[in-house]
Amino acid sequence: MRTLHPFTLLAVAAALPALAWILPAPGGGLATLLVALSLTLTPGASPGPAGTGISRSWRPGLVVFRTALFTAAPFWLFLLLLHDVRTTVAIGLRISTMVASFVWLAAVLAPDRLVEATVARGWSVTAAYLFAATLSAVPVLKARARRIVEAQRCRGLSPRGSVANRFRALRALALPLVLSALHEVDERTLALESRGLVSGARRTSLAPPPDRVVERVVRWGLLLLCLAALVRRLA
Amino acid sequence: MSAALRLDGVGFSYGAVAALCDVSFDVAAGERVALLGRNGAGKTTLVRLVAGLLHPNAGTVWVGDWDTGGRAPEELARRVGSLFQHADQQLFARTVREDVSFGPRALGLPAHEVRRRTEEALEALALGGHATQHPYDLPPALRKLAALAGALALEPIVLVLDEPTAGLDRALRAQVADALREHAERGAALLVVTHDLAFAAETLDRGIVLDGGRLAYDEPLAALLTSAERLKPLGLVPPTVAALSVALDLPGRPVRERDAAHTLARVAGGGPGL
Repeated sequence: MRTLHPFTLLAVAAALPALAWILPAPGGGLATLLVALSLTLTPGASPGPAGTGISRSWRPGLVVFRTALFTAAPFWLFLLLLHDVRTTVAIGLRISTMVASFVWLAAVLAPDRLVEATVARGWSVTAAYLFAATLSAVPVLKARARRIVEAQRCRGLSPRGSVANRFRALRALALPLVLSALHEVDERTLALESRGLVSGARRTSLAPPPDRVVERVVRWGLLLLCLAALVRRLA
Repeated sequence: MSAALRLDGVGFSYGAVAALCDVSFDVAAGERVALLGRNGAGKTTLVRLVAGLLHPNAGTVWVGDWDTGGRAPEELARRVGSLFQHADQQLFARTVREDVSFGPRALGLPAHEVRRRTEEALEALALGGHATQHPYDLPPALRKLAALAGALALEPIVLVLDEPTAGLDRALRAQVADALREHAERGAALLVVTHDLAFAAETLDRGIVLDGGRLAYDEPLAALLTSAERLKPLGLVPPTVAALSVALDLPGRPVRERDAAHTLARVAGGGPGL
């Protein structure tokens, strides 16, 4: 999956939620959700060496799948509080498709490949960098958060116990993360500007991801499929 | 002297990758130990084991009479003060003083004790003039010192420091060296991971070298630093004073600047020159 062109990954991740909302509920939502969840089990969508659900290392392979389910679960609860079961199922399947697609995309899309692809296509490098930086910030912040939690625990802070305790600990954990991230913005900006990254400048792409004909056909096909489904639904 | 820190056949693996294998050594109260080795030798893993962030797969890590295996890092903070790489990222309080006092307050110490420890830690690192500033208004080097002051304020029996002098200039390194020597004199055992062998030579007495997760050497630091042929395969280069000492074949092979100057003056026939 990781070897697919970034635009193909984006197209799949966009088409599934679109179809989930266009196709009639609950069948449409169920079908798109099943596809999206299947994608989270595919090789390359997990941190494990072989991320298929049936491989020997199936446990790490389930990380993305599990993340998708756990992220979508609260939405079902809220929907159930607000609507009847029929509506909850209809909207829940669609929202779960959106969540699973995004989680899958975040797992398989390498930000640097996306930047290369957009630069090769002649898009603004600033916009590409902004999008890629947002995606790549997640693991960076996660690693930093872990370091901060460890450092504060070694200073005697206990993030366990009562809710009040945990809330008190939150300040010592969240503030350094936010402060250091904000503080880093200056350094990152200077580093980028000092290396010539300015708005409107054209950048050379050294290793554009290969964009095969079949992938372009798939992308256009997905667009046409969405349009056809929309027309049929509105007709 | 009793052992403040003892590793007894310690082994640790990250999945199938062994990081430490059968490592055993003691560090007595007041002892100053350099933990050396190339990148990936297992130094940081060892520091994390001592701090209680990891627990050994084999063997035992003792801090005093506490087995770290069953204890959380926040409990071990009563005995172990830690400074990690990127320590400046842990600061969050509105002032340096408030941040340094965070550890003692988290341990629930009385207010007067918190104040005493905080002021002493600030003074030890000459941070008194910055005590009312926001940590993020300080340059990175001083932020690192503020983080170190936070560890010193815990007044632990074991101080484990991972690269405490990275990014510090000569004056600040000397400040750190003085503060560490002072804490060791008060009885704290020091275990310092460093690639800064000049700092190690000036500050620490014993050298423990890890190579591929195993204990390669454990001996007086001066003997280790004057043995270029043993350091080279480990990716280490003797500091200038130690190399000079060997090149000139100075008696006693001094590795500290002051000792080398004294020896040189004596050899030249002029008596102590400094």
